[in-house]
Amino acid sequence: MDSVEALVAHVQALSGNPEEVSHLHSLLKQSEDSLRSQASRLFPFLEQLDPSKHSLGYLYLLEAYSSGPLLEEQASGYLLTVVEFIDSCSAEQIRLAPDKFTSVCKSFKDQVMQLEVAIRGVAPLRTAIRKLQTSSEHLTTLHPDFLLLCLLSKCYKAGLSILDDDIFEVDQPRDLFLYCYYGGMINIGLKRFHKALECLHNVVTAPMTSLNAIAVEAFKKYVLVSLIHNGQVPSFPKYTSGTAQRNLKNYTQPYTDLANCYATGKFSELETSIQTNIEKFQADNNLGLVRQVLSSLYKRNIQRLTQTYLTLSLQDIAGAAQLKTPREAEMHVLRMIQDGEIFATINQKDGMVSFHEDPEQYKTCEMIEHIDSSIQRLMALSKKLSSIDEHISCDPAYLTKIGRERQRFDFDDFDSVPHKFLQT
Amino acid sequence: MDLSQLQSALASKSYEKIADICDEVMLQVEAHHFPKVASRGIVFQEEWPYAIHLLGHIYVNDLNSARFLWKSIPQGIKESRPELVAAWKIGQCLWNRDYAGVYGAIRGFEWSPEVIGLVTTFLENYTKKMFQLLTSAYSTITVADVAHFMGMSEDDATNYALQQGWTLDSSSQMLTVSKPKITTEQKLDPSKLQRLTEFVFHLEH
Amino acid sequence: MDGDEEGVAGPMGDEAMFLNGGDDGRQQWRRIKAAMGSEQIDVEAYASLYIGRTKVMRLLFMAERCGNEGMQLEALRLAYDEIKKGGDSHLYREVAGKIAGRLGPQYTLDQAWADAIDRRAEQRKDKLDNELNGYRTNLIKESIRMGYNDLGDFYYAHGQLGDAFKNYVRTRDYCTTSKHIIQMCLNVILVSLELGQFLHVSNYVGKAEQTPESLDSITAAKLRCAAGLAYLEAKKYKLAARKFLETGPELGNNYTEVIAPQDVATYGGLCALASFDRTELKNKVIDNINFRNFLELVPEVRELIHDFYASRYASCLEYLENLKPNLLLDIHLHDHVEALYTQIRHKAIIQYTHPFSSVDLHTMAGAFKTNVSGLEKELEALITDNQIQARIDSHNKILYARHADQRNATFQRVRQTGVEFERDVKALLLRANLIKHEYNQRAAPRKV
Repeated sequence: MDSVEALVAHVQALSGNPEEVSHLHSLLKQSEDSLRSQASRLFPFLEQLDPSKHSLGYLYLLEAYSSGPLLEEQASGYLLTVVEFIDSCSAEQIRLAPDKFTSVCKSFKDQVMQLEVAIRGVAPLRTAIRKLQTSSEHLTTLHPDFLLLCLLSKCYKAGLSILDDDIFEVDQPRDLFLYCYYGGMINIGLKRFHKALECLHNVVTAPMTSLNAIAVEAFKKYVLVSLIHNGQVPSFPKYTSGTAQRNLKNYTQPYTDLANCYATGKFSELETSIQTNIEKFQADNNLGLVRQVLSSLYKRNIQRLTQTYLTLSLQDIAGAAQLKTPREAEMHVLRMIQDGEIFATINQKDGMVSFHEDPEQYKTCEMIEHIDSSIQRLMALSKKLSSIDEHISCDPAYLTKIGRERQRFDFDDFDSVPHKFLQT
Repeated sequence: MDLSQLQSALASKSYEKIADICDEVMLQVEAHHFPKVASRGIVFQEEWPYAIHLLGHIYVNDLNSARFLWKSIPQGIKESRPELVAAWKIGQCLWNRDYAGVYGAIRGFEWSPEVIGLVTTFLENYTKKMFQLLTSAYSTITVADVAHFMGMSEDDATNYALQQGWTLDSSSQMLTVSKPKITTEQKLDPSKLQRLTEFVFHLEH
Repeated sequence: MDGDEEGVAGPMGDEAMFLNGGDDGRQQWRRIKAAMGSEQIDVEAYASLYIGRTKVMRLLFMAERCGNEGMQLEALRLAYDEIKKGGDSHLYREVAGKIAGRLGPQYTLDQAWADAIDRRAEQRKDKLDNELNGYRTNLIKESIRMGYNDLGDFYYAHGQLGDAFKNYVRTRDYCTTSKHIIQMCLNVILVSLELGQFLHVSNYVGKAEQTPESLDSITAAKLRCAAGLAYLEAKKYKLAARKFLETGPELGNNYTEVIAPQDVATYGGLCALASFDRTELKNKVIDNINFRNFLELVPEVRELIHDFYASRYASCLEYLENLKPNLLLDIHLHDHVEALYTQIRHKAIIQYTHPFSSVDLHTMAGAFKTNVSGLEKELEALITDNQIQARIDSHNKILYARHADQRNATFQRVRQTGVEFERDVKALLLRANLIKHEYNQRAAPRKV
């Protein structure tokens, strides 16, 4: 009984500077078990603490409390406490106990989902991620949870704030799989198809020793989005794991069939192929995307014509794109012009369309700015790449492995080392 | 619920900010209004200016977000708010590329004073954008189609087009489009030279 | 019909005047030859080009495909005569059955003859087997080789190709000189060609060519032909063309159990036309003195190659059309006629458009014996395939060459490459991270 009070007193006393906090941390670790055993009576003690000043202690108490059974009438009070804690806690302190913080957030997320009010978790988890991550390149285990809440609450746009960061550091492969899968879905919802492809591509080509359900579902969507966005499904790049290359297609037959059918460019055949597998697409929740695949075929067929013709009658366009009337063809062309997918002008007098080359002359300031910023990004990226390369070259684990595989060293191998050092 | 940001955006006619403001306020409000009593949530939804929020998305042409917002609104609220339904009608027309339907959806409803400014500005922009689209997409087009796409009578449409330099062949009722010359900025500021130096340096090292 | 073609070919001649410098005498002559080409093939003359089993096989193939009873019976009759010189009673019965009495009593099944053949074959087989067994117990290498070889010959003559193949291959272990090896290879090739085992053909051509002693020119020519046939069958037309073009004139009538020199000209010529570019066509075909000897044997092929090179496409296509029915009856070429013709036509279309900045589609359609909308479709396919850099003005029916703006294209490519690089490197870093993670996991001491 006394120990909680004592602990609270410690927390109040020892939250001032980093040394105190680290001392406090060891005290907290020691009392972890006793806190857990008294989980149900911890809640009132939280009021004695300031979440912004006593963040670490507050976190330990909150975590212990949330690990116990939660009564329904306490739920909303508890959730509000978590929201306020996430908002006001000190990032520095909670990063000392990332597991505790994650656990609190996860139980919060579970509660929100159970109450079917996913939207209430969106803002708090977004804040939580920012506080937890050491850099924007760091994928926390809360990332997928946050995206899931965005999806469930249909706040797709809110997901972008996190998705637009480039991720390089990953704690758990599973987090990455889910993050990329959900990220793919959000990007699909917002019709940012190239971004969606990047996400899904990461799942499909990730190193894996056994096939997982996320990869299979991601591959299905990858096939569909590739068709919508590019009109074809690229073959697996060579770095794709053998497992994925061998097995993915077996699990996704209707999708591979669809892609093959799409390649023929024949609308009616594609329609038939969709009809045969419609139940499977429905069961996979992919019917909406499949419909988009179907309508993208019109677009693709018209786009192909722009590569071949300078002028073509609306009648012929309708014929080539398998549209019923010239008017329908006109509306499709108009729509594609509006979306910047083709460059063309319609001549109603003659019923003709003239196709143009991309008018971009690469002379505007805007374009130069654009290219310049790409160059800056790529330079930063390649610097990163070489620093990581150097890092790996010095990694003892890597060297032992390589050493085992390549026992004989050539003279050149030794020669290159000092050179490298001289340069840097 | 703090809607002051939204109010000031509306007052200053910064309509393009409305969607983002609404999105953010909604997330914050939701997060901090955990239903201590079950009815709190419903009160929030009753009070939330969904029509403005929806129109805010439509204003910046973010139809995806408009659609997701519409999907997340409870059925009861949709039924009790005709203005919300009317706003969604605009979104639907845009989504389906029913170019002419947009005018009907806007003119067919008596908008409340709160949103009338937003809707009117949207309509002006939309009409301008449609005319730009017609200018870039057509070399010749019938008067009837221009009227259709611009939501005007044939006479008004013809006058509008003629003012923009188009020409009319009255026997065939066919307008010939005149395309404005686009001038673009091509000057470079000297900082680019510095960048170029850095770039070459990078390549050589 | 003839008049029609004249009408179409006329404007083409005018249009391309500056290209080929019209000379009327030649055209006249060509027309006569072309007409001759379309005549029905002279079966007897054709058969006389070949000997042995290939003669029979070619005749039977022709009989099956020609769809014309007179020709069919003529082919069967010649095949019957040829078979009766040999010892393949199985084939004999088959052919007699196909004739089914339609050629009179002289060409019915002679049961007694067939039985006698079978009996004699049985005896001969026993004798050869016994002899071989004798050699094997005495371990006389050269005799064993000859024993197997004799058995191979025997089986081949009786149409048991699988056994023939096995026995020929067995001689390999007992070959002591390069000559033996070459003989073995040629035998295996002969059987494999008839079996349709073209992989073996290429293999054994390779083995024969690797023998240390240099090959005599006739053998070298034979091997080129065999390799050419194998490539043709594998649809590697360019490689096939090279092999046929390298075939020396020493081939003459020395390999008629497989191929006639006329075939070398036809196969080689068509494959070359379908797969070579203009320079290659000039250097390796038209200026090839060796190959010219072959081409002289089939003037139509020679002419059509020259027409193609001189951009007289209408005439070239006419020759091809006339040759087609006969080529479809060729045991080796029939499967490839369509593919080769399509490629040749595409090449012709591409060459036709190449020098122009704009082409009138009406004129061009005339030159290619098609209508404008058909031509549009053909051009569309070639443009889509990036084989022609042009755009079709369907409104005015003109094809315009497309000169891509190098600067813009470069910018476009740069941007594209940049986007791909960025995407790939990010994905790569991420994967590297996962692999590292997995490695650390495995390396970490397992806590239970």
